[in-house]
Amino acid sequence: MITEDKKILLVDDDLDLLEQHKLLLESRGFKVVTAEGSKKGWEVFKQELPDAAILDLIMEEHDSGFILAHKIKKDPHGNKIPVFILTSATYVTGFKFGASTAEEKEWIKCDGILNKPIIIDDLVKKLEIFFNEAKVK
Amino acid sequence: MSDNQKKKILIVDDEKNLRLGTKRLLEKEGFEVVTAENGTEGIEFGIATEFDIAIIDMKMPDYDGIQVLKAIIKKFPNTVCFIATAFASYDTAIEATRVGAFSYIPKPFSPEELLQQVSKGLEKRELSLQKESWLKEREERLLEVAFEKTRLNTIINSISDGVLVINKNGEVVLYNPAALKFLLLKNIAIEEYIIDKLPEKMAEQVNEFLKSHEIIKRSLSVQLQMKQENDLFIEATSSPVPAHDGSLAGIAIVIKNITELKKIEFLKSQFVSMVSHELKAPIAAVYGYLKLIADKTILIDPVKEGEFINRSIYRLDSLLKMVNDLLDISRMEMKNTQREIKEIDLPDIIKSILELFQLDIKKKGIGVVIENEENIQFLSGDKDEITRLFTNLISNGIKYNKQNGLLKIKFCNENDYIVTEIKDSGIGMRPDEKAKLFHEFFRAKNEFTKDISGTGLGLSIVKRIVDSYAGKIEVNSDYGSGTAFRVFLPSVKTMNKKEISDKKIIS
Repeated sequence: MITEDKKILLVDDDLDLLEQHKLLLESRGFKVVTAEGSKKGWEVFKQELPDAAILDLIMEEHDSGFILAHKIKKDPHGNKIPVFILTSATYVTGFKFGASTAEEKEWIKCDGILNKPIIIDDLVKKLEIFFNEAKVK
Repeated sequence: MSDNQKKKILIVDDEKNLRLGTKRLLEKEGFEVVTAENGTEGIEFGIATEFDIAIIDMKMPDYDGIQVLKAIIKKFPNTVCFIATAFASYDTAIEATRVGAFSYIPKPFSPEELLQQVSKGLEKRELSLQKESWLKEREERLLEVAFEKTRLNTIINSISDGVLVINKNGEVVLYNPAALKFLLLKNIAIEEYIIDKLPEKMAEQVNEFLKSHEIIKRSLSVQLQMKQENDLFIEATSSPVPAHDGSLAGIAIVIKNITELKKIEFLKSQFVSMVSHELKAPIAAVYGYLKLIADKTILIDPVKEGEFINRSIYRLDSLLKMVNDLLDISRMEMKNTQREIKEIDLPDIIKSILELFQLDIKKKGIGVVIENEENIQFLSGDKDEITRLFTNLISNGIKYNKQNGLLKIKFCNENDYIVTEIKDSGIGMRPDEKAKLFHEFFRAKNEFTKDISGTGLGLSIVKRIVDSYAGKIEVNSDYGSGTAFRVFLPSVKTMNKKEISDKKIIS
């Protein structure tokens, strides 16, 4: 399967969600590396050079996820991998954002917004699309 | 003029017999009569007091009757004057009435003739007096109305709410400066058609009144944002102004500045958002664990599963605490909490709080030191609230302390305040963390704090309680070496301890 030996970076300050998402992805055959904050997340990213990154939005600050995504996307390796932002903020703050158009993707510097709670099948499908595209290229 | 007062008549005649005869006749009829034997006297008497009637002889040696008449009327225009003359002619009659005589009496006259004339004259006088008083009344009323109008204008102009009155044609009848300000208009002319100058929603509201076939009897309100970035929010309330016949005469609009209210509303909804987010996190965590356990396709070893259940219990426990804290905050916000105000011995309270934390203190091996200045003053307050305040601070002092750390509690009197210092040897705070310390849901996040549980509401509750007692709280902190809170609470001047414990005041 294409997902095998793909390494996913998970960054979340909620240790329970981090654990759960890790388990879910592992059950689908992914390798998972984790970090409990954006600073640590960057370190792990540089060290592990993962094949995809899923970042929680609200960590130390309300936009920590965006900032980390931006940083990753500017990195030569990060530029090649899909980066997702994980949030429930679209419901909570009432202010809507998405990353469906090219313009939004450019602005937010990520490849998609994932709403909490994660639906693992959807996430896997999204990841597969990216990995398939990368393979074609 | 009252009826029981005698009517006054002046007779001016140089003919003695006629003078006396007339006087006698009229006095018999109940009049008060004064006589003057020449023009000079006639003028003198006639302008000294107001007579109801003056009968003036036309031909006298000094003045002629016309001159006397003119002088009297000039002073008292309501004195009814007759000219008596033996040379009754058309010309004299004209001349006399032209200068203001009521009528003329041809000489010689019979008593009946005289009395008839006098009674006519009195009627005339009544009428003129009536007229005069009505005129005066009307003038006074006009003045009053004018005064009322300016007064009303002054009042309307000084009202801080905007007032705008529109007639049924949509034209301005009245407005005040506040209305201009809130509607962002430079000027409005009275009778100007205004509806197309109003904000759209207000215009719609006004039109609803104007275009309705039946008069709408209630008021309509609309809230509008007039300037961007929360600068100006208004609420316009339109009410119908009925005419005498019940039809619509116009619309009175009152415009309120609700910017501050809107700001509070915004803060409230922001708070609600934050609360929802904070509540959602533990729910999501527990939900995730339960789903993992329920999912038969994922194999989890029993040790892990036990761990997940424990984590779920832990997350639910802190969720419960958070809900309790939120309930406390909302109770404090409502400000109708029943407080049982008593004299409180602070060191006593702190000691009993420390007892509750014995287990945690032992577990962490924390050394507790209490420094007690003598004669610590009493505090007047609700025991539960004060206990809550220091429980939160001491709990933090333990939670954020290092293993085998130190918790130092010190009391002292400072002027009219009791100062309690709670100092830990814990992880301390960075300056940016210190700034957000009392914010709801703020929790310092760093490598030390990741395993410490908390609702993020503890210090926010502390701050609210301290504020509600008109106290203050200070924080000193060094990152990595510890934090000290100093709580200032106003004291009750030292009283006899016995006396105090018997007192119980409910506020």
